[in-house]
Amino acid sequence: MTPNSQRNTCPSCSIHVEGDWVQCPLCCTDLTGPATVNPFPAVPLSFSRKKVFQVLVWTSFLLIFASLIVQLLFTHRDPQLGIWRIIWLGLATMWLVVLMAIRKRHNVAKGTVYLVAIIGLLCTYWDYLTGWHGWSLTYVVPIVCGAAILAVLISVRLMRMPVGDHIVYSGLTALMGTVPVVFWLLNWVYEPLPSTICGLLSVVTLVLLQLSRGSYVRHELAKRLHL
Amino acid sequence: MTHQPWERLDNASNIFLAARTDSDPKVFRVTAELKHNVDQAILQQAVDEVYDRYPLYHAVLRRGVFWHYLQDSTLRPEVTTEQLPTCAPIYDSGRRTLLFRVTHYRQRINLEVFHALSDGTGALWFLTDVIAAYLQRHDPQPAEASTENQQTSLIQELTRDSFAEYFRPKHPSKKRARPPWKTDTTETDLRQPKTRKTTYFKGAYRIKGTRTPDHRTRLIELTVPAKPILALAHGESVSPTIYLTAMFFEALRTAAQPVGQSMTYGASIPVNLRQFFPSTSARNFFATVRIEHTYGSGDNDGVGCVARHLEQQFRTKATPEALETKLRRFSRFERMVAVRVVPRQIKDVLLRWINWGNNRGLTVAVSNLGRVNLPDPIEPFVHRMAFHVTAVRPQFCVMTHAGMMTISFTSPYVETDHVREFARHLRSLGVPVSVAAPRVTEEHLASVDEAQ
Repeated sequence: MTPNSQRNTCPSCSIHVEGDWVQCPLCCTDLTGPATVNPFPAVPLSFSRKKVFQVLVWTSFLLIFASLIVQLLFTHRDPQLGIWRIIWLGLATMWLVVLMAIRKRHNVAKGTVYLVAIIGLLCTYWDYLTGWHGWSLTYVVPIVCGAAILAVLISVRLMRMPVGDHIVYSGLTALMGTVPVVFWLLNWVYEPLPSTICGLLSVVTLVLLQLSRGSYVRHELAKRLHL
Repeated sequence: MTHQPWERLDNASNIFLAARTDSDPKVFRVTAELKHNVDQAILQQAVDEVYDRYPLYHAVLRRGVFWHYLQDSTLRPEVTTEQLPTCAPIYDSGRRTLLFRVTHYRQRINLEVFHALSDGTGALWFLTDVIAAYLQRHDPQPAEASTENQQTSLIQELTRDSFAEYFRPKHPSKKRARPPWKTDTTETDLRQPKTRKTTYFKGAYRIKGTRTPDHRTRLIELTVPAKPILALAHGESVSPTIYLTAMFFEALRTAAQPVGQSMTYGASIPVNLRQFFPSTSARNFFATVRIEHTYGSGDNDGVGCVARHLEQQFRTKATPEALETKLRRFSRFERMVAVRVVPRQIKDVLLRWINWGNNRGLTVAVSNLGRVNLPDPIEPFVHRMAFHVTAVRPQFCVMTHAGMMTISFTSPYVETDHVREFARHLRSLGVPVSVAAPRVTEEHLASVDEAQ
């Protein structure tokens, strides 16, 4: 330790100050005596942009949600609205999908589950707003669900994702694939082929998952759902 | 491919996750100052060696539907020079990272830990082993002997949740761990301390100030010889922690006399439960005790008198019986079905409210890790030891080593008036004080740029 007489001292507080402070860090009085080595580095100020992004994202969600709700005020019979509604809904949907893809970019399988849910729900709502023709439940939902099952199966292998990270989401996409079959049974679809293909794909995937990765599924569920 | 092991979070850790903010990311730092500059390559080897013996430190934090949990990982720690402000945030829910970091600067080795992983005692074990391993490589002299002091016996127990072990009701066929202080006759006594007070929600004087520009922790480290402080505390028949707390209250009063504010000063003091309930787990195992003093209530408000008043409260509240009653209550609450089935996000909001309510009754927080006795072979190589924690309110942490007591004040605010008064009070008692502080404001940092 440096001898007391040779240390930076605050005449007002009568204390020794370590480092090369010019003024006392406690009372701002000019120090007397030579500086010593700093025990701490001078770390420049840094301002995180995380908060700004968070505000932007939540504002976006709010705007998207509001623009979807507002649609209920307009009837589909208004001939002036047609194209504008499509552009409006298209932009809102695209923005929501982009936000989700960015937020869930660290886990492709998880992101896919979110995307399937968003696209399925939005298209159904879109169909409802435009006079309920049934195209969403007949084509969009089965095609998106079926494609998601294949996409997750392929991408987790290509990306060599650890089983624990994707198994729950792989299972969830497969489970969601059974939903179009329910629509078919309820007679909500006018063309059964897409729902049938999606349902078959889903059942095959679920059986394969159970046979080959059953213990992983149970382990992951026990972990994530522990009470 | 094997299943990745995972562990539930302990009773105390959930509150840290819910209560963390930008300025208080619930990180603490334990520092050892060596007598020579630290060699990064050797420190990396030492950390690698010790890391392999501490499975708990391999853990990453993950979010379940109902609770957070710790999961084993294959990540490796990377030693760096100190490039971030002290106790910078460690846990980021969007990234899977280790919950601690080891840095160095000149003679100092710093271990920073996210509080949900471990407490000060657990972190000190890890740091002690790192120092031993470092010195073993750096200076072969203390090598052979130091290996005996490794906390190898801990290996099997690092993931043990001592809260669950001691305070959670178990199946009748399974016998609960029994603390050594407890005899059959004390069983009935447990029901006595039922004088539950609502003091937590009574408003205490709360300090306000200017927040630091980038939310970094304002740290002021005072180093004083331990002997005079111990003598002062013994003179009043109180523990050093309580004596320093009374001095802290006095410093706050002198620094800024509150007008129209509560005259009640409340302090939260953590108690290491390992002293009553033997545990070698490096995970959190502490409980906090709240003590308070109301100034101007007719009693003598001198430091000694306040210290004796605080000590009296502390002795009543920090008994193993009182702590056990309190922790059993927490544990029962945590295990209630109605609480367990609530989704994690809602639990976090509720815990944040509870924490906010508790904070209303606190002026400061105080923590003392006591005197650190390092293993003999490494003791002569370590000069000073310190620890501090990020703060939502002004607080101080104390650690004593080699006859030197380091009192580290932390605060989310730039102002240091209370530390100035504290230091001046010590000087008036004839105690020599040395101050070390990292730069926090733009003006502080500008003065460095000019000097360069």
